[in-house]
Amino acid sequence: MKCPSFEKLVDFLDERLDQAETSAVATHLATDCAVCTKTTGWYERVRLVATSDDSVAPASWVFKRAVRIFDTQRHRPGLTERMGQAIASLVFDSFARPALVGIRSTETANRQLLYRVGDFSVDLQIAPIEQARADLRGQVLKEGEASFDAVSGLKLELARGGKIVLSAVTDDIGEFSLRGIEQGVYDLRVQLPDGSITVPDMPISES
Amino acid sequence: MNNIAVTEAPAGIAELDDRALVVACLAGDHFAWEALISRYQRLIYSIPIKARLSQDDAADIFQAVCLKLYEKLPTIRDSERISSWLITTTSRECWRLSARNRKESSPSVDEDQGGFLREIPANGPLADEQREILEKQHQVRQAVQSLPERCRELISMLFYQKDELSYVDIAGRMKMPVPSVGPTRARCLEKLRKLLEGRI
Repeated sequence: MKCPSFEKLVDFLDERLDQAETSAVATHLATDCAVCTKTTGWYERVRLVATSDDSVAPASWVFKRAVRIFDTQRHRPGLTERMGQAIASLVFDSFARPALVGIRSTETANRQLLYRVGDFSVDLQIAPIEQARADLRGQVLKEGEASFDAVSGLKLELARGGKIVLSAVTDDIGEFSLRGIEQGVYDLRVQLPDGSITVPDMPISES
Repeated sequence: MNNIAVTEAPAGIAELDDRALVVACLAGDHFAWEALISRYQRLIYSIPIKARLSQDDAADIFQAVCLKLYEKLPTIRDSERISSWLITTTSRECWRLSARNRKESSPSVDEDQGGFLREIPANGPLADEQREILEKQHQVRQAVQSLPERCRELISMLFYQKDELSYVDIAGRMKMPVPSVGPTRARCLEKLRKLLEGRI
């Protein structure tokens, strides 16, 4: 028997043929025709892969934010290490995220900031407390390192107007906290063995 | 002559292969970067969603992975492997974020974490089988996207609609005679087969 057409084979697999045609194609396939077996195998694989694809696209603001990476990073001269000092760039700010429908404000929420430079990231949470002050908790992480060796025991300095106001040391997993910080704009410097990371213009606000 | 700001992507940029897009990105082409992110957006974003992380967490992971991709552009040697690198990087970011969420007892992560995330070894890659499925789904979707417009529309209806459509439904939506649907579908599938040759 002559091989069924590609269209007929696909219709057979999708159960779109009438009984007589279905029977004819089934009879042919029972002969183990190599060409038709290859064709039906391909279609069944592709159909299975496609119909099981439950992937979802991100919201447009998520996509647009990622597209902006190109321009913000490309036009930032001296981002990478300069004289042993690296300036971290802000990649996430919870206050910059659009509020959900029905939510008027995120003013009372803690502010989360994520900065990154090279292999290092500095994850910060600013928690407002009373009397125009806030606590700062954070974690320094190095990409691809599961042991935290590179981020434990690092000295941190919080400076305002060039003057160091608080300091801390990261714990065994790179975490640290600085408490009772007055409202203002600060630089946070993380001292590394071979240089430092500066998180510039970090906003500490009451709310 | 006045300078005219280009605000729309040049025609055909989405059809460039990964290698050409990476080269264009390195040359400073904003639209090449947009096309690259567009191409991989579903692959990246779906990993945290499948891992049952919240949409906010998925958005953060998406941004972090895209930033890493940007930083990696100058060192990408084998552009064919971008999808593999993205799967590994995204799954690691998922683990990192979910570990942090667990530590903070955030309600955004279920105690009974999704099966997908369970298959990701801590700080490691996805299981080979899961990775293969994601890559193949990405390949097929991209191949469908590369088809001519009418074929793309028809094959998308057949493969990506949740509800199975009859030929009558398809004919109505595509404004074509019902008897033309089958032959058109066959021609479109033949084109898809050529695009996927040796990969599926």
